[in-house]
Amino acid sequence: MGQTAAGAPGLIPEGMDLPPARKGERALARRRRTAAYGMLAPGGVYLFLGFVVPLIIIVYTSLTSGGLFTSGGQLTFTWEWSNYQKALSEYGPFYVRSIQYAAIATVLCIGLAYPMAYWIAFYGGRWKSTLFMMILVPFFVSFVIRTVQWNFILGTNGLLLGPLKSAGLVPEDFHVLRTPMAVIAGITYNYMPFAALPLYVALERIDRRLVEAAKDLYASKATAFRKVVLPLSVPGIFAAVILTFVPATGDYVNASVLGGTGTTMIGQIIQDFFLVKHQYSIAAALSVILMAGMLVIALIYARALGTEDSTLAAGAAT
Amino acid sequence: MTTDPQNQPGFSPAFARGMTSRRMSRRNMLKLGGASVGALSMSSILAACAGTDSTSGQTGGGTAVDFDPANATDSLNFSNWPLYIDKAKGEYPSLNLFKEETGITVNYEDEINDNASFFGELLPQLQAGQDTGRDIVVITNGEYVAAMIQNGWATELDTSRRPNFDANAASWAKSPFYDPGNKYTMAWQSGLTGVGFNTELVNKTPTKLDDLMSTEYFPSASVGVLKSDAPDLVMINLGIDPKTSQQAEWDEAAAWLAQLRDSDTFYAGYDQGYVDDLNAKNLSGSMAWSGDVLYYKIWAGKPYEFIVPGDGALLWIDNMIIPQHAKNPAGALQMMDFFYQPEIAQMVTEWVLYMSPVPEVQDLIAAHGKDEEGSDPEYAQQLADTASNALLWPDEALLGQVSLGRNLTTDAESEAWHATFDPIWEQ
Repeated sequence: MGQTAAGAPGLIPEGMDLPPARKGERALARRRRTAAYGMLAPGGVYLFLGFVVPLIIIVYTSLTSGGLFTSGGQLTFTWEWSNYQKALSEYGPFYVRSIQYAAIATVLCIGLAYPMAYWIAFYGGRWKSTLFMMILVPFFVSFVIRTVQWNFILGTNGLLLGPLKSAGLVPEDFHVLRTPMAVIAGITYNYMPFAALPLYVALERIDRRLVEAAKDLYASKATAFRKVVLPLSVPGIFAAVILTFVPATGDYVNASVLGGTGTTMIGQIIQDFFLVKHQYSIAAALSVILMAGMLVIALIYARALGTEDSTLAAGAAT
Repeated sequence: MTTDPQNQPGFSPAFARGMTSRRMSRRNMLKLGGASVGALSMSSILAACAGTDSTSGQTGGGTAVDFDPANATDSLNFSNWPLYIDKAKGEYPSLNLFKEETGITVNYEDEINDNASFFGELLPQLQAGQDTGRDIVVITNGEYVAAMIQNGWATELDTSRRPNFDANAASWAKSPFYDPGNKYTMAWQSGLTGVGFNTELVNKTPTKLDDLMSTEYFPSASVGVLKSDAPDLVMINLGIDPKTSQQAEWDEAAAWLAQLRDSDTFYAGYDQGYVDDLNAKNLSGSMAWSGDVLYYKIWAGKPYEFIVPGDGALLWIDNMIIPQHAKNPAGALQMMDFFYQPEIAQMVTEWVLYMSPVPEVQDLIAAHGKDEEGSDPEYAQQLADTASNALLWPDEALLGQVSLGRNLTTDAESEAWHATFDPIWEQ
């Protein structure tokens, strides 16, 4: 992952190394330096307006109070820490559940996507791109529509259970829809491409000669995979986990479309507070907690699996 | 009348009706709208942050509003629920007639998919004391209507300028308890929440709300609950008047709901979209809206039945309201009254199958059915079924069995209500 940044000719350092005589080159370096800022600016502004500003507003809102009837819905900033207290004491279990669902779905995503990405990367040959495109094809259909379709697949007498029931393989009153199973299945399905993408990139980049070398040194296929391929794909796994786990935790579409009573996730609670109850202060507090929690988990995870190590591992592959 | 949908070549009324019941389309719309959640809530927050120093919106309504038809402007923005008005060839015949009569063009937007999020959309402008860009909105009775009236966000109507309403409105549409004298609201359509079921899937025909919990009536894991309507409906069936209910009664209803949730028959709680699960046979029965069930029964021939459970059903009213600082209040009031002419109300009812606030429509539809007998027997039969359905034309006996729901009018009440009922489903 890190090899482009380290290996590519840097924009600024290159200019600095030039002999002073070459003034034209120095002007060019200056231009390049401004160009760097110029290129960063649109993204920076975008990020500032689209992330930093809303973040500040959310944190601000989470410390306000007011109600629809008492103040016409106007919120006043009152350092209302009780919003956080309420959010945590009443909705703590939903964070736990969301993390559980997301964790299970993440493991499933990687378990399903890894062999697929591996096969495509190593044996896809000239069909590589086509095969990989096929993983991404579901993205051409709206997220919500895809999820709604699962209602038909998982229905009590739907595509999956209908035949099983007529064959007498499952009991007549067995159902999957509106259960945790359905929600986790939905999340897994919807987020698997996010896992497949980085895994494929990491696996595709592995130098085949290293695997050959391992075999030359009498490593079995399994050992070569375990000692060479798997460690080199760690950056991909790292990215896949982050890309799957973080959005899956906050997901509310799967739980509301496929879930029922007893599968409520924190995303639904937040959505409810924003859009149904119009209690923006609590909604904002819930969001801040979710965000902070995710950040902490991601940091711990990064420490454990280490981005730096991953980068080194990736670097070793080149 | 030449506005019947089936006058269009290649246009099946059954298909059109399939797209017509307003409540069924709400679920997908809501889900699709989920993508815009962030944007919507953000704008509300921005407004909330910015709004503290502006006038707090207590300026709407009052006598300053000019309702003289002579001063109506020539266009009007009307926001309603999807497929909640007559429609033919992409136009709205009743609104065209209104234009012929008054010269006012109605810009009809079917943008309301559920009360909560639509209200959330209006909220920033309401709080800032600004025009919402809409002259008429349609909102179900409940805390949003209460908030609009209390906060001065609804324009007070000139009650002397609605002769058709005075002459033709049904008893239940006149002076509802949440708006005595209809000073702010006039009913658009109305309906009942009761029990709907698939006659082929139930074990035994249910007659009361308690039957929802019993496997004697419903197969296990096959009963749905409408989360927002359930508390009121349950209270009615516990012999409590929801309109005056307090915490102790709410607790009673919550206990009943928790019992249903934990019973063998329970399948899931719904905001809307239970009809999809009914059609997919995931549900054998559910708390249901009358219009949904009637549509499938009358127009799609499904084996569905809707009952008013033993101790009563919940009545709800979708209200036309003129938001504060609307640009054309005079035109808006004219239009609201226009729809209280029986012939105009008939055009709407033949399309939407909810309760019309104009009782005379029943006879008009029956007569229309007779007229069609020669040309289109199937359509004639459907019209006759519509005209004879007791649920669409509540008599005194039925009205005695239904009640409007609790009107939450303070923050404390709203909070206590949600604290009582939300945890049942938030599990």
